[in-house]
This record gives sequence, structure tokens and C-alpha cells, in this order.
Amino acid sequence: MLNREDWLPLARKLDWEFSYTTEQEVFPQVISGHPWLPHSSWQDWEEAFKTSYREYVQNQHEKDMAVYAVRDAVGRLENVQSLATPWINGLKIHAAALPLAEFTGTIGNLRGARFGRDSAWRAMACFGALDEFRHTQIPLLLMHELVRWNPQFDWAHKFYHTNNWFAIAARHFFDELTLGQNAIEFHIATNVILETGFTNLQFVGLASLAHEAGDYLFEKMVTSIQTDEARHAQIGHPVLALVMKHDPEYAQYLVDKWFWRNWHLFSILTGVSMDYLTAADQRSGSFKEFMEEWIVDQFFRTLDEFGLKKPWYWDIFLDELEIYHHMIYASAYTYRSTLWFDFVMPSPNDRKWLRQKYPKYWDDIDAVWERIGERWKAVGPGADEESSVLGTALPTFCDLCQLPLSAGTPRNNTANVLALEGKDYIFCSQPCRWIFLREPERYANHKDLVKRVLTGEAPADFTALLTDYFRLTPDTWGKDVYAGDYDWL
Amino acid sequence: MPLPLYGFMEGDTIGLLIVADEQESVRSLADKLRDAASLRVDGSGSMEVVYRGIVIDPDSTLAQAEFKPLQRFDLRGNHGLSESRYSR
Repeated sequence: MLNREDWLPLARKLDWEFSYTTEQEVFPQVISGHPWLPHSSWQDWEEAFKTSYREYVQNQHEKDMAVYAVRDAVGRLENVQSLATPWINGLKIHAAALPLAEFTGTIGNLRGARFGRDSAWRAMACFGALDEFRHTQIPLLLMHELVRWNPQFDWAHKFYHTNNWFAIAARHFFDELTLGQNAIEFHIATNVILETGFTNLQFVGLASLAHEAGDYLFEKMVTSIQTDEARHAQIGHPVLALVMKHDPEYAQYLVDKWFWRNWHLFSILTGVSMDYLTAADQRSGSFKEFMEEWIVDQFFRTLDEFGLKKPWYWDIFLDELEIYHHMIYASAYTYRSTLWFDFVMPSPNDRKWLRQKYPKYWDDIDAVWERIGERWKAVGPGADEESSVLGTALPTFCDLCQLPLSAGTPRNNTANVLALEGKDYIFCSQPCRWIFLREPERYANHKDLVKRVLTGEAPADFTALLTDYFRLTPDTWGKDVYAGDYDWL
Repeated sequence: MPLPLYGFMEGDTIGLLIVADEQESVRSLADKLRDAASLRVDGSGSMEVVYRGIVIDPDSTLAQAEFKPLQRFDLRGNHGLSESRYSR
């Protein structure tokens, strides 16, 4: 019987020359990606893990058993019910955003498993697809138990099947990142930017907060997922290295584009959970501090490793780091009935903490919370008064990221209009406009929520929009956790 | 003809869709945005409407001021720089 080191290199590096077709036909550029290079250019593609299928299955089995053990020990309904209510609502955000997004990662990896340009890449992408399927199944399994208790957890599976405004934005992101993407762009965008960078926010930063919050099941789930991510994320680095060698301008574009797109989505997903839905005494750091430690430093290492430049919008990004998710949360609080989880107002202590962590623009955000608090005081607390503390005009959305026009600051919103080929588009920021203009054929036909309403595709009546289009119900649409009944009000 | 517009109130955290008739006054448009943003922003005091970088006379109609659909307008606190301010 052959030793592992005798058969594995041969099994991983099993490429051949085609005799009855061409390499271009087997790996068309449209789906394998740009730049198209002959296999001789890719044949040195390598990654460090060099896992065999047997080892993969054994490792994954052990990891699954560890997750189940934690579930059996501390994952019962009463364990979840004992967590702080705001944290549980942060859990609902991730329960919805994570599983089916991971499933799109299965499809993206399968594209790499077929159209990746070297056999070792394809083998690793096959494991990546299995990983992502696991990351779909685990949260669906764990959250399923909670649906009977709280129907908002049903959004773990339902979210991406709705036309909820945040689902439209998340689909727009993942459709491009994973479902409709060629192998090269998929692996650079997903492995190098998303998984080496931004998912650290979820799987390391948020996991540590989950520990502090006593949510050991969430902590175990995401750290287990992270071990898979750390392995299959290695696919992207050698891909980026070769693209950088042959078309450095394109490599820079992909990195710049996907850093920005990830930033907007994750600042909402994670920033809101960290700074608003985690109790102040359980926060080990602010979202901005996590970003600086886990994303910015890591991103700079990536740039250095590949000889890339800082994105042109870096100063805009640093400014948004101070305020973007605060703009979003204050806005979303006043439109909470459009979402599937409940909200909490930041208390005076929270606001003091946020002022310390985000001194640059906090005064402007604080004025908004002061105003919302005045409304609650005027109408009094109680579920019957919720509607008096909700916005009524339709919010507006960016034609690129599909997220609310909440970029810039309260004094200077950076939304900007573009006229292109007889149509008007609006963008929340200059980087979103720049991405759109680089590939207008990719983005121009997608309608944001406002245009769907204006063309009759979505209901203009607000309640009908919530129920018929967003698929919310009075039981599931978002509310204030305390119905405005705060001691400090 | 109804005009859907993107309205941005100074001090607010989000842009809002404001639908107005082109024969409506700029003052009326401003009032709609002020009401829509009032949950988050105190809109009392002198304000001015800015469209395509120009402060607009509040008594003109949207048609006269050449408002077009799906364009941005702003409602800003008047800082004493313009004659076209108004208070509600």
C-alpha cells in the first residue's frame, strides 16, 4: 500500500492535455475568469493544507461531533431564553444572513471545483463546497429548534426568499460574489477579501462577544465554521498572485471593489450587533476597534504581500468607520417594522460609551437618538404606541449596494445621482458609484426597492409592502424590545 | 405630474422618497420632507431648499424650479447666507 506522501501529490496534481477539444473550450474565460492563461501558467498553483478526502471527512466528523456536544450541553431552548434580549435579536440577524449565504458559497466553490485552472485548486474548491454546505446546515439545524418559541427565527431559512430590503441588498451582494461569478473573481473576492478578512469579524470578533454574552452555542458554531474558512480561504492567495503577475490593474480593481462591497454589508451585519445589540458590560471592544485589529491590519498585510496599493477611497472608508453603521442603526430603528428582528434604543450609558469610541461624529448621531427619545416620551411607552415612533416615508436605497442612502454624515449625506444612457441612478457614496461605472452592464438593470415601487412591481402602500413584499407579519416585524419602556426615558 | 424625489434633511441619517406634484410649491415639498424626517430631526427654524447646488425660492413651483424625477434635493438649516429661507 502506498504511503500518503506517495499517492497524494499525484492525486492532487492530476492534469492532462486535451486531445479532442481545446483548453479554451474546457475552461472558457467567461466562467474560468480573466486573465485567461494556459495551464502551464497555473501548474505551480499550490496551497499549504494538502488535505486528502479521507482526512477531510474525518476532521469534519470530529468538528460536527464537537458542535453537537455543545448543543446538547448548552443549546437547549432555556439556554437561549436566558440570554439578554438584545443579544438574541443580534442572533436573529446572523441566523438569517448566514446559512443561505453560505449555500451560495457552495455553488461558487463548485464553480472553482470545475473551472479552476489547476487540479489542486479544483480539489481544494471541492472541499470548500462541502464546507459551505456544512455552514448552511449547522445554523439551520441549530436555529430550527428556536422557531417554535419565536417565529422571527423562521427567517433563518426565509430571509433570502423574501424581497425584504435587506434581503435584496444581501442577494445583490451574494449573487455577484458567488452565484454568478467566474472562478478567478470568486476565489479572490471570497477567499482573500471576505474569508481572510471580513468573516473574522463574525467568526473571531463576534465569537468572543458571544462568549462574554454567555451564548456558548453561537460561539462554538462560528468558531467551528472558522476552522473550515481558514483552510479553504487559502485557495484565493495563489490565484491573486498569478492575476497580479499578469494583470495588476485588474487585481487591484478586484481587491478595491470587493473590500468596499464587503465593508458595507458587514458594517451592518456585525457593527450593529457589536455596538448596539451586545450589552455594554459584555463588549470587549467597539466594532471600529475590531475592524482596525482584524480587518485593516490583515488587509494591509494582504496588500503588502501582493504589492497592491491602498484603495483610492481609503480616506472615505476611514471616515465611514466612524459613523456608517451608526447612521444605519438610527435609521433602521425608525423603520424597524421593515425588518425581522427587534431593536433597542441605546441607553445614556451606551451613548456615553459610543461617544468615547466614536468621538468624531457622535454628537450628530446623539441628536437623532435624543429626538427619538422625545417622541417616545411624548406618546408614552407601550406596544400600541410603536407606530407613533416609526418613519412613514419610504426610505431610499443605493443603486449599487442596495443599502439605505445613509452614507456620509447627518450634515453631509454623500448620496449622488448619475445620469447614464437615459436613466438616473443614485449611489450612497463615491466608491459605490465608481464600482457601478466600472461595470454598468452588470448592474444597470437591477432595480432597487424605490424603483420597484415606482414601477408597480412592489406595493406603494407601506403595510402592503411589509406583508406582501417583505413577507413580514405583525408577529414577526421588528419592534422596540421594550416598547419604549426605558427607565431613563 | 407626480415627481418622485430623493429628499435629504440636514441632520438626518437617511434619504427619503418624497413624491410631489410639479405644480406644488417648493415650500410644500420642504414641508413634506420636514414632516417625514421629524421623528429623527428637529426641523423647526429657518431652512432652505437646495437643488443642484442652488438655493431655490420657496414660493416657486417645482416645475418653475425645473425639478426632475429621481433627483436629489436638500433641506438645510439657513446659516444666513441666502435670501430664500423660510420658516414654517
